Amino acid sequence: MKTLAILIVTLFLSFSASAQLSYEKGMKKAFDLWDQNQIVEASNLFERIARAESDNWLPPYYAGYTLVLSAFEVKDEATLKLKLDKAEELLNQASSLSPNNPEIMLAKALGNTAYISFDGQKYGMNLSGKNQMIYQKAMQLAPDNPRVILAKAEWDMGSAKFFGQSIQPYCEDVQKALSLFETEEKSDIRFYPSWGKKRAQQILEEDCEN
Amino acid sequence: MKAPLFLILLFLSVQVLAQQSISGQVTDRQGLPIIGANVYLVGTYDGATTDAKGKFSFSTSETGEQTLYVSFLSFEDYSLTTDVTKLKEIDIRLREDVNTLDAVMLTAGTFEAGEASRVTALKPLDVVTTANALGDFLGALQTLPGTSTVAEDGRLFVRGGRAEETQIFIDGMRVFAPYTPTTNNIPTRGRFSPFLFKGISFSTGGYSAEYGQALSAVLKLNSIDEPDQEKTEVSLMTVGVGVGNTQKWEKSSLSINTSYINLTPYLEALPDRNQWLSPIQSANGELVYRYKTNDTDLLKLYGAFSYTDLDVIQENINFEEGFRFANENRNLYVNGSYKSLLGQKWTLNTGLSLSHDNNQFQVGEDLISNSDHSAHLKIKLNKRLNNRLKFNVGGEYFITDFDERFQALETPAFDYGFQNNISAGFAEVDVFFSKQLALNVGARVGHYELLNQTEFSPRASMAYKSGKHSQFSLAYGRFFQHPNAEVLKFNSALQPEHATHFIANFQYVRKNQIFRVEAYHKSYDNLVKFDTELPIFGSNFSNLGFGEASGVDVFWRDNRSFKNLEYWASYSFLDTERDYRNFPEAAQPGFASTHNASLVTKYWIEDWNSQVGLSYVFASGRNYTNPNQPGFLNQKTKTFHNLSFNWAYLIDQQKILYFSVSNVLNTRNVFGYNYANQADANGVFQRQAIVPNDDQFLFVGFFWTISDDKTSNQLDNL
Repeated sequence: MKTLAILIVTLFLSFSASAQLSYEKGMKKAFDLWDQNQIVEASNLFERIARAESDNWLPPYYAGYTLVLSAFEVKDEATLKLKLDKAEELLNQASSLSPNNPEIMLAKALGNTAYISFDGQKYGMNLSGKNQMIYQKAMQLAPDNPRVILAKAEWDMGSAKFFGQSIQPYCEDVQKALSLFETEEKSDIRFYPSWGKKRAQQILEEDCEN
Repeated sequence: MKAPLFLILLFLSVQVLAQQSISGQVTDRQGLPIIGANVYLVGTYDGATTDAKGKFSFSTSETGEQTLYVSFLSFEDYSLTTDVTKLKEIDIRLREDVNTLDAVMLTAGTFEAGEASRVTALKPLDVVTTANALGDFLGALQTLPGTSTVAEDGRLFVRGGRAEETQIFIDGMRVFAPYTPTTNNIPTRGRFSPFLFKGISFSTGGYSAEYGQALSAVLKLNSIDEPDQEKTEVSLMTVGVGVGNTQKWEKSSLSINTSYINLTPYLEALPDRNQWLSPIQSANGELVYRYKTNDTDLLKLYGAFSYTDLDVIQENINFEEGFRFANENRNLYVNGSYKSLLGQKWTLNTGLSLSHDNNQFQVGEDLISNSDHSAHLKIKLNKRLNNRLKFNVGGEYFITDFDERFQALETPAFDYGFQNNISAGFAEVDVFFSKQLALNVGARVGHYELLNQTEFSPRASMAYKSGKHSQFSLAYGRFFQHPNAEVLKFNSALQPEHATHFIANFQYVRKNQIFRVEAYHKSYDNLVKFDTELPIFGSNFSNLGFGEASGVDVFWRDNRSFKNLEYWASYSFLDTERDYRNFPEAAQPGFASTHNASLVTKYWIEDWNSQVGLSYVFASGRNYTNPNQPGFLNQKTKTFHNLSFNWAYLIDQQKILYFSVSNVLNTRNVFGYNYANQADANGVFQRQAIVPNDDQFLFVGFFWTISDDKTSNQLDNL
C-alpha cells in the first residue's frame, strides 16, 4: 500500500516535472531556431507553446514579436497584413494575460512601425499618432526600462530626421538606455525580454558619432 | 517481489511516453506545396513547420484521439481529429482564404480613399493637399475620372448626371444638405471638415442595393472611430479662423471643430467682379462623440451646425443695375449610428440622421423662405455564413417635410410645400467562389407614400481576378430617385426618375501604382419635364423625359517611378444626351463636357521641409444656346484650363505655413453665356459671358497643432 502511494506520488512528480521541462525545452528550442535565423520555425513553435500554455504571456508575446520582426522583410501588402493581423491577435492574447505590460506595448508599436515603413503615406497618418500614445504610456509605466527608452528614442529619431531636426537629444536617450542595460538586473521570470543592448550600441555608433 | 512491480510499472509508464511519429504533406488545391505552415497537435507543443516540399514530420508521446491542426497565412485553418496512429503520410489540402488583400474585390465603379481600403486611389493626405482642392474634399474628388468640371458650381457631376443625382452618406446615413450655400459663379464647398473622417468611398456607378435614392453616384464618408490622441488645432487663414480640440477618455472621445469664415478682408484687398453688400460669412461647428459600449460595439454621434449669410449684386445683362441675391442659411445636421456584433457572425448597424435646413432668400425683389426637415432611419444586419458567403439585409425610411413661402413685391405671400415619405428594404448576398471569382447579387424595393407606388431595383456585380495584379469587373443596376423639392413643391404627383447602369472595369494594382479603365453605359427614363423656363405653379409637369450617357474613364496613379514625386492623371470621355426639364429635344446638357482631364502632382523637397504641388484641370467646351442662330444648345464654349499651385512649408513639427493659388496662368475661362431677353435695335441678342467671380484665388494659412507629443501636425489636414 505504502509502495503504491510512493509510486503514485513519484509518477505524479515526474509528470509535472516533465511538463515543466517541456516548457523550458520548448522555449529553448524556439530561441535556438531564432538564433539560427529560422524565424518562421521559431515563430511557429512559440505559437504552439502559446496555444498550449493558456496562462503565460511570454509564448504569445514571442510568437507575435517574431512575426512582427519577420514582417519587415515582406514585400507585398497582402502578406504584410496577414502577418501583422496574426501578430496583433497573439500580442492581444499576451496583453490580456499581462495587462499594461510595457514589453508587449513595444511589440505592438513595432507592428505599427512595420506598416509605416511599408507605406508611410498610407499608414503614417493614423499609426504614427498611435505609436506616440503607446510610447508615452510605456514611459509612464516603466520610465527606467531601457528597452522603452531605446524604442521611444529610435522612434523620435526617425521623425526628427524626417523633419530635418537635430537627433542629438535622442542620442542622449540612447546613451541613457545603454547605461541602464549595463545595470539591468536579470529578471526572475525565465525568458523575460532582454533585447536591446546591441541595438543601442549600433545606433550610437552609426547615427550618433558626430 | 515489490521491486519488479515497480520496474514493470515504470516500464509501462515509459511505454506510455513512447513516441508516435506523425507525418504528411501540406499543399494547396492545385497540389503546390505550402512552405512554412504550422502543423501541430492541439494542446501540445508537438508539431513542425512544413519544409520546401510542404512536408512535415514530428513525433509525439500523445495517444488516442487527437486533433491535428494546420495553419498558414492566407489559407483557411484546417483540423483533423482522429487516432494519432492514423496520422501518417497524410495529405492535407488547404483552402485559400478569400478575405485577404490579394483576393478578388467587388469594386466596379468605386474609388476608395483612406487607410482601411484595399486599393486607395486617394490617400488620406490627398484629400486636402491637392492644389486645386483648397482643402475641400469635394475638390479632390473632382480630380477623379467620371466627374465633370463645372467650376462655377463646385458640386459633383458624375457621368452625365446632374449634381442632385449624387448622394452623400456619413457612417451609412444620408446627408440632406451637403453643400454650403453660395450664389451664381462661386463654387460651393462641402459642409463637412475632412479632418473628422478616416475613409471616403466614392462610387461613380453600379453601387450596392444598400444605397438608394441616387441615380448616378454615392459618396460614403466614415468618421473616425477612435482618435489617436488629445490635441488642439488652430488655423489662421486669409479667409477666417478655425479651432479644433479632441479629448479622449477610457471608453469615449470627443472632437470639436469650429470655424469662422469671412471674405470681407480678402475682398477688400483683392476685389472680385461682384458688388458685395455683405460678403459671405459663415460660422460652423462640428462635434463627434464616440462611445465604446464594449470591445466590439461602438456608438457614434455626429452633429454639425452652420450659419451662412451673403448679400450681393451681380452683373446681369437683363438688369441694368445688376441682380441682387441674398441668402441667410441655417443648417443643423445630427447623425447617430450604432454598430454591434451580435455573436454567431451577425453584425447590426443602425442609425438615424436628422436635418433641418432653413433659407431666407432675396432674389431680385422677391423674398423666398423655406425650410426642409428631413430624416433617415436605417437598420441593417450582416450575417457571415462563412468566409465565402455573406448576407446583408436591411430597411430604411426617409422623411421629408418641405415648406416654402414666396412673396413678390407688393403682393400677398403664399405658402406651399410637400411631405414625402419613402420606405425601402434591401437584401444582397456576396459569394466568393474562389480567391479569383466573386459575385454580389441584390435587390431593393422602395415604396413612395405620396404616390402609393412601389419600385423594384435589382443590382449585380461580379469580379474576376485575372492575375496577381489585375482584375476585371462587371456591374449592373437599376436606380430610382424621387425628384427633389425644386419640382415636388409645385407638383407632388411626379414619379421617381430611373437610371440603368452597365459597367465594365479593368484594374491593375501594385504597390504604389494603380491603373484603372472603366467603360459604362447609362440610360435614363421617367425624367421630369416641364414647359416653362423654370418650374413654377402652372407649369405642365410630366415624367416623359429620357436620356443616356456612355463613356470611358481612365485613371493612373504612380508613387513609385520618381523619388519624392507622386502624381495621378485622370481622363474621362463622355457622350451624353438627355431630354429633360424644358428641353425641346434631346441634347447634351450645358453642364456636361465631352472630355475632362486632370493631372495632379506633389513633390517633397527635403532641404526646404516643403511639399509643393501643381494640378492641372482641362475640360472641353460646354453647350449653350445662342438665340441669334437656329437650334437649341447650338454652340460650345472654349475649353477650360486651370493650373493651380500649392506650397506647404513645415516651420517646425507643429507649425505649418500653407500657400496656394489657383489659375496660375490667369486663363480667362468662360462657362457659358447669358443672352438678353430682348433683341437690340439691330435684331441681335446681346450676350454676357458667365465667368468666375475671381480669375485667381489666393490662399494663405498658418496651422498650429498643440499636443502632448509635440510632433503631430496638420500637414495631414492641408
